[in-house]
Amino acid sequence: MDRNEIIEKLRTIVLRNSQSDLGQRAVSEQDRIDSLGIDSLAMLDLIYDLQQEFGIEMDPQDLIPVVTIGDLVTMIKSRVSA
Amino acid sequence: MGSPKRVVVTGMGLVTPLGLDLASVQSKLFAGQTGIGPISAFDRTQYRSQNGGEVSSEALAAALDSQKWRPTTDRATDMLLVAAAQALRQASLLPPETETHLVDASQDEIAVLVGSGLGASQHVTESWETYYSQGKRGLRHTTIPRCMMNSVSSHVSISFGLKGPNYVISSACASSTIALGQGFRMIRNADVRRVLVGGTDAMFIEPLYAGWDKLGVMSRHSDPAQACRPFDLNRDGFVLGEGSGALVLESLADASSRGATIYAELLGYGESSDASHITRPSAVGQAAAMAAALRSASLQPKDIDFINAHGTATKANDSCESEAICQIFGPPKKQPWVVAAKSLFGHSLGASGVVETIAAIISLGHGRLHPNLNLEHPDPLCNLNLVGQESLDIPLKTCMKNSFGFGGGNAVLILGGPDTAV
Repeated sequence: MDRNEIIEKLRTIVLRNSQSDLGQRAVSEQDRIDSLGIDSLAMLDLIYDLQQEFGIEMDPQDLIPVVTIGDLVTMIKSRVSA
Repeated sequence: MGSPKRVVVTGMGLVTPLGLDLASVQSKLFAGQTGIGPISAFDRTQYRSQNGGEVSSEALAAALDSQKWRPTTDRATDMLLVAAAQALRQASLLPPETETHLVDASQDEIAVLVGSGLGASQHVTESWETYYSQGKRGLRHTTIPRCMMNSVSSHVSISFGLKGPNYVISSACASSTIALGQGFRMIRNADVRRVLVGGTDAMFIEPLYAGWDKLGVMSRHSDPAQACRPFDLNRDGFVLGEGSGALVLESLADASSRGATIYAELLGYGESSDASHITRPSAVGQAAAMAAALRSASLQPKDIDFINAHGTATKANDSCESEAICQIFGPPKKQPWVVAAKSLFGHSLGASGVVETIAAIISLGHGRLHPNLNLEHPDPLCNLNLVGQESLDIPLKTCMKNSFGFGGGNAVLILGGPDTAV
């Protein structure tokens, strides 16, 4: 799965869990996750959706170093291919 | 401490199988149009009882969208948010359109009390389903805040910024009548300035529904329109009906000073426990709650114009409630009129208290009692002064509202019409 495929699926999941009204905006690797209406609680639901979508295991602690969408894509990619 | 405050209702909201606004519900109530139909939420054919009162999912989604709210994914919470917005708006505490910011900034003086038998039932059920199908991987990290019993009231508090006390009262089918009683006491004692009292329950979620079906207390009648028959000789159980309701309570003085429209006055409240059986009702316990409510209102039985009965249409409830009414009021010729709303709404469990209290307030405001649908042959064991199958126009000033729950909780309110609150 390449980065663009991951980011497109991620976009749907981010928009679903965002506390802000983002409409149908695009999501870029440079976006900070906390700028997209994802607070700490929404992040927990986002992790659940990522696990279901990509068939991977994630722990909330794993997300501590993750700041941007690009960071998240890198983490997902490493786990999907592991 | 000053003298007790008089407590009035200044806003109401409803999300029911009869509609998602007061006007629709009122017209169907008086026309005797039931909200009960064949259950569509899941494959009903494997169940003994196949009818229910369902809220239109499309209308609920549209109502949430009109508030610019995304569904919370818990149906009981979503229905309650819509009912709460209606009630706050009718009380002129929210702007007329889609805003959820209060007009009056006294947020810290508004409490939220919600009666619910099942709480966030959709979240709870879905969490256990995914856990048992996928193991712990199937469980959301947010399972606890989604499923906690008070999530339904907390979402109301958070959505409207209401900073008074907020909690859930759970006592099965008496839940939201108890919440109204508690709200009545809060205003009467000047503990808070206003209370948003809600009730909500969503039960057309298959594992939950299957549990009710197993209990064997629901009607197995094949015709949805005839399934729920309170006080009728041929009744064979209740029919579930999901829904939510909400009322704004405040003191008469406060409501008058801000020029709010007053829809009813809460005159008294009484409660008791049967302390005898987890499901079987007790006429002694029910009569004790009725007597306590009359004492609280400083009224005599002869002062009550009609009773909005618990009237579930089970064999046990209706004969027991009738016995309790006879103990307090005497034979039918001495009784007020008796109506039961569950043949119209279905039984909304913990929400039934607020939903049916609003139906009673509509009756008080219009001098019209809705019919007792399907009362073809009144049960001789239900020796009551029952309204028939047509609505009845009659001057109405006072109402007794009964709610009795599994577990033995009994709650009774006394209501006065808008004309008493002057």
